[in-house]
Amino acid sequence: QQSLTLFSWIPRFKPMQVKEIIQKCLDDKLTGQKYHVDKASKFTRELADAIKQELKELHWDRYKYIVQVVIGEQRGEGVKMGSRCFWDEDTDNQAFATFSNDSLFATAVAYGVYLY
Amino acid sequence: MDFNDETVFEKEVVLNILKEVTEETLHDQTYNQGKVGQWISDICEKSTKKLVALGKPFKYVVTCVIMQKNGAGMHTCSSCFWDNANDGSASYKSPQDWPLNVVTTCFALAI
Repeated sequence: QQSLTLFSWIPRFKPMQVKEIIQKCLDDKLTGQKYHVDKASKFTRELADAIKQELKELHWDRYKYIVQVVIGEQRGEGVKMGSRCFWDEDTDNQAFATFSNDSLFATAVAYGVYLY
Repeated sequence: MDFNDETVFEKEVVLNILKEVTEETLHDQTYNQGKVGQWISDICEKSTKKLVALGKPFKYVVTCVIMQKNGAGMHTCSSCFWDNANDGSASYKSPQDWPLNVVTTCFALAI
């Protein structure tokens, strides 16, 4: 009971809000694009930085962010991505979104970790 | 907060853990749709357990991507907003001669 009231005023990482941000970044950047080795490399970097920048602009105090982006060529291959985290469930959280078209697929995950 | 040697992120040690766990789980396996979920769970959970056993004051995030080898290309990239002095990441990529493409990444954030 004590710890809940102590932390109640902290602006928390909101997964749904972050998911929308990530989805918008992916859609804006990749709609209509085709997979090409050099472009894909550039897109992953730009997407990771863009999503991180948007998260910073939310001004959630004392949060550290990790953004991971995976872009791959769409050739019918199987792919799976997963993660496990060792953190504090009350304050830390994650959000992800995916995008795909005929030529490529992309996934972006954002983790928010609170610094006590 | 006082930071001393204990809170330094040791990339080599972490990379070794990721390498050991990935190789142990996926040694000589080919892509199997039914098992891939279990493999990822195993890799992430075993890595997390070993990392926590190091006893350092860090929070950990371990991610794993497994892809069938089909001639298709894949890129991964991460961007982090953290404290450069104390936080770090390590990433292990499977060798070229494996029948699977695996990338296991660990992010460690100091408390």
